[in-house]
Amino acid sequence: MELTDADLLARVIVKGDQHAFGELVRRHQSPVRGLLRQLVRADVELADDLAQETFIRAYKNIRSFRGEAKFSTWLYRIAYNVFRENARKRKELVGIDESQLQAEVDPQTTDPGLRHDLMNALANLPLHERTAVTLCCQNGLSHDEAARVLDIPLGTVKTNVLRGREKLKKMLAAWATE
Amino acid sequence: MNDPLDNLLDARLRDETRYIDDAGFTGRVMKQLPRRRFSWSTQRAFIIFSATIVSVVIAYFASGEGMFVHDACARVSGLRPLQLLLLIFACGTGMTIAGLWAALTRTHDMTV
Repeated sequence: MELTDADLLARVIVKGDQHAFGELVRRHQSPVRGLLRQLVRADVELADDLAQETFIRAYKNIRSFRGEAKFSTWLYRIAYNVFRENARKRKELVGIDESQLQAEVDPQTTDPGLRHDLMNALANLPLHERTAVTLCCQNGLSHDEAARVLDIPLGTVKTNVLRGREKLKKMLAAWATE
Repeated sequence: MNDPLDNLLDARLRDETRYIDDAGFTGRVMKQLPRRRFSWSTQRAFIIFSATIVSVVIAYFASGEGMFVHDACARVSGLRPLQLLLLIFACGTGMTIAGLWAALTRTHDMTV
């Protein structure tokens, strides 16, 4: 029988079982890396570095996880904080800002086609809308869970999701009529 | 949510949530985890074991290289059968109580 996340967490906390933590990493690596790839705009190497930092930080602070939220929600919150710290550092080091980041277009997303258009449109949403749409519409979090991850009011999350979706729908409108 | 555009958008976004293959990611994370420290129960066992060894060594030299054991054995061998039986019974009862107490304490630790 497969162990639940709670069973694995108990093993990590009580026995310091690193193999149990490895199983948790294996289970959650895909959504965490996916979220970070969206946040850093398809910079796969940077996203994976941040994901590694996320899991290492989770391991170090595992005793502070109280089980009030899902383990995945707790991980997303750490991932988002790691991303924000990194973005702040990059801004300090390189002098880039969000508006400049908005203008960056990944060469892979310049191909024609609905998929690439959608991903391009998602990548070009403002950070707060992109994050909210990714968490709620791609990773399946409820608005309430997303609000906890982002540490912002529930109403703000709903607004960001709504605005982000409206922008994506405008882009999709052309495809829907074809 | 009946807007066809909404449905199309939801479907496309869900499609984009593809599984990212591990490809050694978990292994890299595991290599970077901080080294595991001994748990408190292991440290406690080590402390008790060390203290026991030290106490035995001190007692051995402080008691004239364990002559008290020799004397005690000689005294026990001089006991009457009934006295010996009572002594064994008292020791057995004491050990049973100590074992039960330890087992119950351990069960309590695990259920909290």
